[in-house]
Amino acid sequence: MIRAVGRFVLWVVRIIGANALVLGRTLFYLPRLDPGELGRAMVLFGYRSLPLTFGAATVIGATVVMQTGVYATKFGARLYTGWAAGFALLWEIGPLLLGLVMGARIGARNAAELALLTVNGQIEGLRGISLDPFRILVAPRVVASLVSVVMLADITFLVAILWECIAAYFSLGLPVRVFFGAFSDILFWGDLLAGLIKCSAFGLAIAVVSTAAGLKATGGAEGVGRAAASAVVSSCAAIFMLDFLLTPWLARVLVR
Amino acid sequence: MNNESPLHIFGAQLVLLWRTIKAARREGIVWKEVLRHMAELGTSSAALIFMGLFFFGVVLVTIAWAQVRKYFGNIAVIGPPYFQLILREFSPIMAAILAASRQGASTAAEIGAMSVNEQVEALELSAADPLAELVAPRLIASILVLPLLTTIGVIAATTSAAATVTFGFQNNGMAFLDPSLVTKADLISVLIKTVACGAFIPIAAALRGLRAKGGAAAVGEAVTVGVVEACMGCLVIDFVIAAAYFVIASRG
Repeated sequence: MIRAVGRFVLWVVRIIGANALVLGRTLFYLPRLDPGELGRAMVLFGYRSLPLTFGAATVIGATVVMQTGVYATKFGARLYTGWAAGFALLWEIGPLLLGLVMGARIGARNAAELALLTVNGQIEGLRGISLDPFRILVAPRVVASLVSVVMLADITFLVAILWECIAAYFSLGLPVRVFFGAFSDILFWGDLLAGLIKCSAFGLAIAVVSTAAGLKATGGAEGVGRAAASAVVSSCAAIFMLDFLLTPWLARVLVR
Repeated sequence: MNNESPLHIFGAQLVLLWRTIKAARREGIVWKEVLRHMAELGTSSAALIFMGLFFFGVVLVTIAWAQVRKYFGNIAVIGPPYFQLILREFSPIMAAILAASRQGASTAAEIGAMSVNEQVEALELSAADPLAELVAPRLIASILVLPLLTTIGVIAATTSAAATVTFGFQNNGMAFLDPSLVTKADLISVLIKTVACGAFIPIAAALRGLRAKGGAAAVGEAVTVGVVEACMGCLVIDFVIAAAYFVIASRG
């Protein structure tokens, strides 16, 4: 019993320690980032994720209207669909689903690449020629995936709200003017800011967690696969936990 | 991998699904293997899904409270619709995406490592069908387990909401456990969703795993692409069924 508790505590401490080390060293190297690696990682994480972002935003936006539309017609609150759908999207559904999809996409990709380098001994090789792998490999990736997720979040909100409006027009027969009227009258900038803060927190969590998972990899092809899989799972867990911690605070600070 | 057209993406999975069903009917199903995969899948995903949807319920109620207080004053009004919405929409999609992350990633990693190490070819050489041996048990296990995981998600999200409202806001939390609005159509919709996602996840992951060629880099690629396709497939399935439900609900 005591041994199990001890093992659990050690496990928690190890996870926190590994992630804190990645985050701390990234902050330390922030003024001296390797520009080439930063650019490469931005293209890989940000630009290459654009098709996925558009696809996910389309489906998320249309689904939210289908979900709220049933209640909007039932309770006779059709005119407030713009508010309800927009609020649900900005506060909860948008950040959470985008975070989970990006955890799968950016987290797995980042962990797989770093695990490959670790398994092949290339990280050790870098240390051997007295280059710090954190400066030239890790810090640029963490920064790039944070920046990518924040930018992709803007695009997701924009695309998803446009699709909500289109879906409301076709499914509920709601004119575009009425949709955006309710959207802009009742919502304010704080709602958008809340979504963006959540997305940035998720982006940072994905970057740090997947980097720690990738650097821990051992073994051959199985090790790379296992690292990528565990990065996805821990990103999901971290996203839900951050969501839980951030939302009450944001709701207190940003709701009028 | 330049096959980015939607038809190509979903077509390959349908073909693999069809071939797996044919192979399983020809070779028979090893139920012991199915049971092993069910146990593995259930134990590995249940905690993640419980925790995720528990937090999700608390968060939803917290932000709903901030809005509803202004218009109704009484949060218990949204209890029954909340239960229905969790059951029909949120629990299936969240459970599906979390299962896609957990199970899709490990399936793609395992099968990818096997095909890189030429163990899949070895299976074929010993006259065994890799689809019947590797993919079919995971497919059946996933179809059977995802509805159960969704049920766990519903329990987690509704009890956490009820507890938050009762203890956090000192209001009538039992309204969030009230299933009075749930109809037969909701249950059918949830069942179709979970079974469809449960079938899609292992197929999407196994497809990328089986296609992996080369070294460790190919395994990483297989996991990344497999998980993303499994997640997107679940979102699309969710949208299609939500749209069908909306059309049917607004007609009748």
